[in-house]
Order: sequence, then C-alpha cells, then structure tokens
Amino acid sequence: MSEFVRRELPLVLIFICGIAVLVPFFFPHPFLNAVKAELGNWAVIIRNVTIFLGLIYMSFSQWRSLQRDKSMGGYIYFVAPYLALVLFVGTALAFPGYINSAQYQWLYQNVYRAQVSMYVSLPLFYCYSAAYRAFTVRSIEAFALMLGGMLYTLRQIPLFTYLFPVLLPIGEWIMLVPNVGGGRGATIAVGLAAIVVGLRTLAGREVTTIEVR
Amino acid sequence: MIRTGTYWDFILLVLMIAAVYYYMDKALKGKELPRIRTIPAVEAIYEGVGRSIELDKPVHFAMGASGGQLHTSLVSMTLAALMILRHTVKLCARLGSRLIIHIPGQTEAIPLVEGIARDAYLEEGKPEMLRRDDMRYHGYASTSFTQAVAGTYAREGVGLNVMVGIWYTDCVMPLEASKIYGGLNVGGTARWIMAYAFAMMTDYLLLGEELYAAGAAVSDNPVMVSGIASEEIGKYFVLLLLIVGLVLMAVGVNMGSIFAM
Repeated sequence: MSEFVRRELPLVLIFICGIAVLVPFFFPHPFLNAVKAELGNWAVIIRNVTIFLGLIYMSFSQWRSLQRDKSMGGYIYFVAPYLALVLFVGTALAFPGYINSAQYQWLYQNVYRAQVSMYVSLPLFYCYSAAYRAFTVRSIEAFALMLGGMLYTLRQIPLFTYLFPVLLPIGEWIMLVPNVGGGRGATIAVGLAAIVVGLRTLAGREVTTIEVR
Repeated sequence: MIRTGTYWDFILLVLMIAAVYYYMDKALKGKELPRIRTIPAVEAIYEGVGRSIELDKPVHFAMGASGGQLHTSLVSMTLAALMILRHTVKLCARLGSRLIIHIPGQTEAIPLVEGIARDAYLEEGKPEMLRRDDMRYHGYASTSFTQAVAGTYAREGVGLNVMVGIWYTDCVMPLEASKIYGGLNVGGTARWIMAYAFAMMTDYLLLGEELYAAGAAVSDNPVMVSGIASEEIGKYFVLLLLIVGLVLMAVGVNMGSIFAM
C-alpha cells in the first residue's frame, strides 16, 4: 500500500468530513445540512460494517485461543451456540434484524439483561470490600474523598441523621457544591481535550491512530 | 449568519483554534513549550515494573472494557491511555518484564493496541518480547471483561496493574482483585463519576485531567504536549467567563440572555 493511500488519504478524508460536519453546526444551510445528514448515514453504515468485521475477528481470535489451550473449550462450546442462537433469532427469524420481536426480546430480557443486572449489583459489594481493605489515605485527595464519603454515607442512614441532624445539611452541601463543582470541572476538561484532539486531527497532526504499523 | 445559541461555542472554538495553532507551531519548530510537572503515578509505573520483576509476576495493562472509543468526546482519554500503554511496553521491554495487555471491547481497538505494542517493542529493539498470547481480548461486554481480567490476576499473578482510560463500573472488580493478589495499582480516569473508585483503590492516582497530562508527558511527542498547553488556554477562558458572569450577576445583569446568544 502506498504511503499516500495509507497515510495521506485518510487525513484528507478526515479533514473534509470533519469540516463538513462542523460548519453546519454554526452556519445552518439546507445544502450543508443535507451533506451533514448524508455523512451521518454513512457513519452508521461504516460502524455496522466494523461490528460485522469485529464479529469475524472475535470468532477467529476465540478459535485461535481454543487451538492454543484446549481447556478453553468449556467456555467456547457454551457461548458459541448461544451466539448462533441470538444471531439466528435477531437476523434470520425476523429478517432483517427485527430486534423487537418477541423471541429476541425474550432472550434479551431473560438472559442478557438478567446477567447484566447481576453484574451491575456486584461492584457495590466490591466497593465496600475495597473501602475496607484497599483504601489507604495516601494523599489529600484520598483524605477528602474519605471524609466526604463518610459524611455523605452517614447522612443516608436515618439513625445517624436522627442522632446528628447536622449531617443532613452537610450531606446536601457535599452533593451540591464540591461534587457538582468537581463534576463540571472534569466535564469541561474532557470537552476541551476533545476539541483539541479534534483540531489536531483536522490539522493532520493526530498521529496516534494512524502511524501504528 | 451564525445559528442562535452557538455564539459562545463559536468564540471558544476560534480561541481554541488560535491556541492549538500557536502551540503546535511552537512544537513543530522545536521551541520551548510549557513544562509538565512530574506526575507521581507516572514515576510509579517504573517502580512497579521493577517490583514485578523482583516478585516474578507479570505487569498488567488495561484501558477499560469500553476504553477503545474513538468516536465520542471521550476519544482523548483513549489516546492518552494508548500513550501510557506505549510507555509501559517500553519500560517492560527495557527492564525485561512480562506484560499482559487486556484489550478493550471495541473491536476497532484491537489492531490499534497491537500496533502500539508492536511499535514500542521494536523501538526498544526487542520485537521478540511481543507475545500474541499476552494480548487478551475478552469480548464486547464489561461483564466478561472484568471477570476475565480478575481471573487472569488470580491465575498468573500481578506485580503492577496499570488501569487508565475510559472506565465505568468495570474498574471496581479488577482494582480490588489486583489488590487482593498483591498488585501495585496505578491508574485513573477523567470520568468524574468513577474518580472515587480510583481514589479509593489505587496506590498512585491519575486524578481527572492528570490522565491527559500523563499521556502527553510520556509520549515523547511535543505535539501532544502542545495540546495540553492549548487546553490550559481554554480553561483560562472558561474561568474568565465564570468570574465575569459572577460579577455581572451580582450587579443584576441577566446572564441567561447573554449565554443564550
């Protein structure tokens, strides 16, 4: 592959597409809006193609894992039929990919969602366990977190607010002042970083994702 | 004419374009850029790699089950994490430690992570240290990711655990598991809502935007450092708006109508 196709062409395409999406945000015009909408449609198409490619890569990767380590078979032989079943129900049974079908929804609600609910509740216990075992006050940030977390947790327990009514306004203050202030600061930092990465990409200077071999 | 309600966005964008151009130009011409202070968590990666060798345990690197996002506003975290990955790979190659990389669920991240690791090993002159078996892909779900990562700690041990990038609730289990199995935890995310978990469970924390600074500091790339300097300009602008807004509101000006422009 020539250097132009591998490196220069993606940068040119990124620049054109980036400008075509950015300009209509500030300067609305029917033609520019139509171009933006068309690019949006293509983004969806490309994304879905990459998901399909990812499925192929993932299957190949699992197959290689199985060849390297036969003990993996127990997991793969269990998961692969389920993957095939979901693909069949999601794409073939109600062609083309009607995921609101009763069969697909049954699988989603009773298998996938149940598993996710179980998983999402687990970190709660891990958090408490970690708070007890792993939490060490090594810095001012960690001390502030411990103090704020402790006061806020006590505020959530009726017995403590009954015994110490002052915990109520303290807990509210923690949530509404330092928490909101910190959250906004972090959000602004993320936004500014995204702008800088975007501008660097448009300028063709964001090489992290295209210079790897 | 500019769309109503986007005037301030436009001003910020123009300012950021000017700042990025100014600092990038300086970087490309080799001029001096603002210095990034020493970040303890970055130093700790070196310490942790040495510790792993002494304990004869592998170093682990993970950037989140959803850490390979290249299409959202979180992309900057992915890029910073990739830079820290490169740094970690180079240190492991230089000092001779085994590194296990847990690849994020986004399939587009697989070639990216592999490519970064391959390049880093090549840069250190040790391409033979690249082991495909130590680049683990655990599927597109935080459920499988966390359990697989924690399982790897249990089976193969952990000397240093580097977890940086886009993390959701998937950070809790690996951090705790690493601690249980004696690993040194170094990590952080710029996602505010998960900062508490890293503050609680890491030995060395990258708090918020320290992640970007760390990524730039270890990148050996002046353009990345120029990006951090540009962000500072944006922050000063936001701070200025905040102060001016507070003063104007105090004297009775309706800021809502001004920011609705």
